[in-house]
Amino acid sequence: MATVAASPTYTDSAGSHRTGIMDWLTTVDHKKIGTLYLHTALFFFLVGGVEAVIMRAQLMGPNGTLVSAEVFNQLFTMHGTTMVFLVIMPLSAAFFNFLIPLQIGARDVAFPRLNAFSYWVYLFGGLFITIPIFFNAAPDGGWFAYTPLTGREYSPGQNLNFWVLGIQILGISSLAAAFNFATTIINMRAPGMTLMRMPMFTWMSFVVQWLIILAFPVITIALFFMQFDRFFGTNFYAVSAGADPLLWQHLFWIFGHPEVYILILPAFGLVSEVLPTYSRKPLFGYAVVAYSGILIGFLGFGVWAHHMFAVGMGPIADTVFGVTTMLIAIPTGVKIFNWIFTMWGGSIRFTTAMKFAIALIAMFTIGGISGITHAAPPSDMQQTDTYYIVAHFHYVLYGGAIMGIFAGLYHYFPKWYGRKMDERLGTWHFWLNFIAFNLTFFPMHFAGMLGMPRRIYTYDAGQGWELFNRLSSYGAFLMAPAFLIFLWNFFRSKTRGEVAGDNPWDAATLEWSIPSPPPEYNFAQIPMVTSRYPLWDITHPERMAGIPHSAEGWDDAKQRTGEHVTSGGKHEADVAPMHIESERRSAKELGIPMPNPTIKPLWVAAGILVLFSSLPVMYAGKNMIAFAMMAIGGSMFVGFLYAWLTTPMEDAH
Amino acid sequence: MTGIFRPRQLAAIVAAALPLLLAACSGQYPNSTFTQLTDFNRDANGLWNTMMFWATIVFVFVEVLLVYVMFKFRRRPGGPEPVQTHGNTKLELTWTVLPAVILVFIAVPTVKSIWRFQSGAPANALQVDVIGHQWWWEFRYPEQNIVTANELYLPIGRPVNFTLRSADVIHSFWIPQLAGKRDLMRNRTNTLWFTPDSVTPQAFNGSCNEFCGASHANMRFRAYTVSQADFDSWAAGQAANAIFPVAPPAAAPAGATATTVAATTQDTVAAAAPTAGYAFPLSELPPHVLPKTPIPAGLTIADDVLAAGDAQRGFQQYSRSSCIGCHKIRGNPSSLGVIGPDLTHLGSRHTLAAGLFPNDARHLALWIKNARKMKPLASTSMPTLGMGEIDPILKTTVTAGLGGLTDQQISDIVAYLMTLK
Repeated sequence: MATVAASPTYTDSAGSHRTGIMDWLTTVDHKKIGTLYLHTALFFFLVGGVEAVIMRAQLMGPNGTLVSAEVFNQLFTMHGTTMVFLVIMPLSAAFFNFLIPLQIGARDVAFPRLNAFSYWVYLFGGLFITIPIFFNAAPDGGWFAYTPLTGREYSPGQNLNFWVLGIQILGISSLAAAFNFATTIINMRAPGMTLMRMPMFTWMSFVVQWLIILAFPVITIALFFMQFDRFFGTNFYAVSAGADPLLWQHLFWIFGHPEVYILILPAFGLVSEVLPTYSRKPLFGYAVVAYSGILIGFLGFGVWAHHMFAVGMGPIADTVFGVTTMLIAIPTGVKIFNWIFTMWGGSIRFTTAMKFAIALIAMFTIGGISGITHAAPPSDMQQTDTYYIVAHFHYVLYGGAIMGIFAGLYHYFPKWYGRKMDERLGTWHFWLNFIAFNLTFFPMHFAGMLGMPRRIYTYDAGQGWELFNRLSSYGAFLMAPAFLIFLWNFFRSKTRGEVAGDNPWDAATLEWSIPSPPPEYNFAQIPMVTSRYPLWDITHPERMAGIPHSAEGWDDAKQRTGEHVTSGGKHEADVAPMHIESERRSAKELGIPMPNPTIKPLWVAAGILVLFSSLPVMYAGKNMIAFAMMAIGGSMFVGFLYAWLTTPMEDAH
Repeated sequence: MTGIFRPRQLAAIVAAALPLLLAACSGQYPNSTFTQLTDFNRDANGLWNTMMFWATIVFVFVEVLLVYVMFKFRRRPGGPEPVQTHGNTKLELTWTVLPAVILVFIAVPTVKSIWRFQSGAPANALQVDVIGHQWWWEFRYPEQNIVTANELYLPIGRPVNFTLRSADVIHSFWIPQLAGKRDLMRNRTNTLWFTPDSVTPQAFNGSCNEFCGASHANMRFRAYTVSQADFDSWAAGQAANAIFPVAPPAAAPAGATATTVAATTQDTVAAAAPTAGYAFPLSELPPHVLPKTPIPAGLTIADDVLAAGDAQRGFQQYSRSSCIGCHKIRGNPSSLGVIGPDLTHLGSRHTLAAGLFPNDARHLALWIKNARKMKPLASTSMPTLGMGEIDPILKTTVTAGLGGLTDQQISDIVAYLMTLK
């Protein structure tokens, strides 16, 4: 902590020199875009957290009067929507952006400008869906937005319009990013980085991109139906015109269940990086962990109707979806055991990152077990839509995804900012958070099984729920300071943390071979990879004895990356020169072509925002203004897209 | 560090044992799902216990293993470099196959149970149609020719088959102590059946469990399990028309207390309405069944005005008010509406506004006065009727021209409605 040495910096290449805010608005550097994602998501985390604390204050005792029914319904809708779409997914995206190119030895993502576009669309979509809460007009149909309640007939206000359009905007962002990262992982791996040598975070991210690519189109269609119903009077979900009220539910959960794995798998990937590093052992059963991730993703598409056991699908559907849901426990359990056996026989160092990673194993196990209990439909009929479910999925999404993301943040902060986060504050954050989390969510299991429904803004006295609700509320009130400690630590450590060096944790993968923070071009020389743990090949050859090494894949990679590959044959040693600070040079000096910064993706995203914003205006009856907005938004979209596509990404070289 | 984890293990064991404890002291947890009162819950709890048995084993094994690993393999100063292992096929096969085997033990009883309760109700089942409305419950007993709201009577020992439909959005019907929940939807008909066969005469809380809009939390109901004889008596009473005695107004002496008026009214009814059937005795209702929802601030009615309510005047007032457009009172030829709850035997119910308030004169009066304040967005159909009240939805003040009623008129209507036992 005493070290206040100057932060390590790197020089921009001359061709891309921008300063201050314009630098951030025009950046196409995957690391900076990752940083933007990270900060935006942390901001929304705060928003979603405040929503949760208000709800817990309302439910602390029976017949609470802090907020009205309408406000409460907006709060729980926005809490869910925010945490899923504006916090966990973007926090994962922050890691996708920052880490994937570094882990596979690439200089950027496949489509740097599309990457910037994804971020701006996410930011605009997030604001679009969040700002209405300040006008008491936030979406109030639940994050699942079941029809017919969310149709125009039963929700005539503007509230749901912001939800339908906002999720649609966010979907554009997710899909663009998913295609980008899938392409990046397929095409831009360094020579020798075969699929089965990819770091596990990249592996899990790869699975997630495919889940997004396959699941988001479903919700996109479902949302278009709803959008047409609400704005143009179609009858896709209109029960008064004979629509099936289950159509939306099926479509939503065909997206919604893979979405759960979209949220959790990146965290699984992060702890799969953290656990080996602090145990000083390679990941136990690498191949099985990778395959189980794929299997989880695959099975994740076949279990959606377990969200619907109360709707009366009949015994055949209940049987099928009950059994497939139980099946998905197997690959998940496999991961748990592989993580534990990664630690087995290791030399475990309890850094904050490691504590969070272990907490994920411990807490996700609870969430997984409670998940099994509602895989059995007759039992689930007593559980579904109660606080038991709220407890379950917070153990999965907070105990799993968020714990894993915190582990990732503490672990990768030094790479991101060149400094470590404070371990003492980290320990405080961990324990406060761990205790508060369990205090908040464990009692909810009991409240639910003792008959407390979800999504209620009030409950009567004497129902046997008071104690559990009070405990949950105290937990939530304790979780808030834990998060504030984290934020304080995060922002303070950026400038005042201990200088980290290239590889402070003695980790094994490529991202730790380059300076912290990494230079704009990441790798002065594209590394040649011969094994799963290229850095340990250099630093700990003794750990690598049992790991196969070969030059497999070098020729393919040369074809893919062409001129970037500068040497062959010497493998490990090629990584070394970048460690030497004085030898670091700008991209231009090294003759590395980097994409030019551009503001066009931002403007294209803004065009989309204007286009979508025109619909609520039309809904309010102001047709002329709406048409004007459509014309402006459409022109912005087409015009700037044209300009973007006709401008070369890099200077001629 | 590891010491801190011990309480969690302890908590885990306690957690696994708790359901049993909870079942033992259900008085403290009046909405517990861990009951043995119906075949449905015995089945669901059997499954739960099977799952908890395995869950406890898996949970304890994983967490103990984790804590052991953390303790045993923590880094010690000068400790040796770890022995490098990268995988172990036998071990990995074991923890793939073993969970699969455990899942078979869970899946088989699960599938059995699914088919048992979804293969149609027994032939002798009592048929009850449930229709969900924003935000109240309509209950119909087609065989008994009964239409009522928010309170169910179920004969002990006879299977009951609910046919579930919705008039608007999706709701979900749930009496946690008796059975799992089932959704109610438009354009679809669902069923749910169970047999309350191990029940004493008891009162239960039910609730809506699918988010259905602003007052989702206030869409509750009550279920009473009663003997077959009491059920028959209740059913006969409910099936009968309400007969309002067109008799001289009960003499209400000036300054009479509410108690005396209530007593007088009850006497009148007892004499004039012999059709009133069995009702679950108010005195035997457990505390959790009696609503304790506070009355919203600023909504009052004077005691003396309420006490001076006259059933006869109320009958006339009601019969020419806007009430009759939405509510039905069989036996009152002008009250034919079908949008709102059937009020034919309103006075026989213990709760008001879908289990939100006790059904007494004061709450009923305030409900008529400003329902939308009593229950958020109570219904877009139930208007605010109290003269001078501000309608929470329309934000307008109720006047006589808008059908507004004075406190005196409301008290009269209340007096009338309370006679409808």
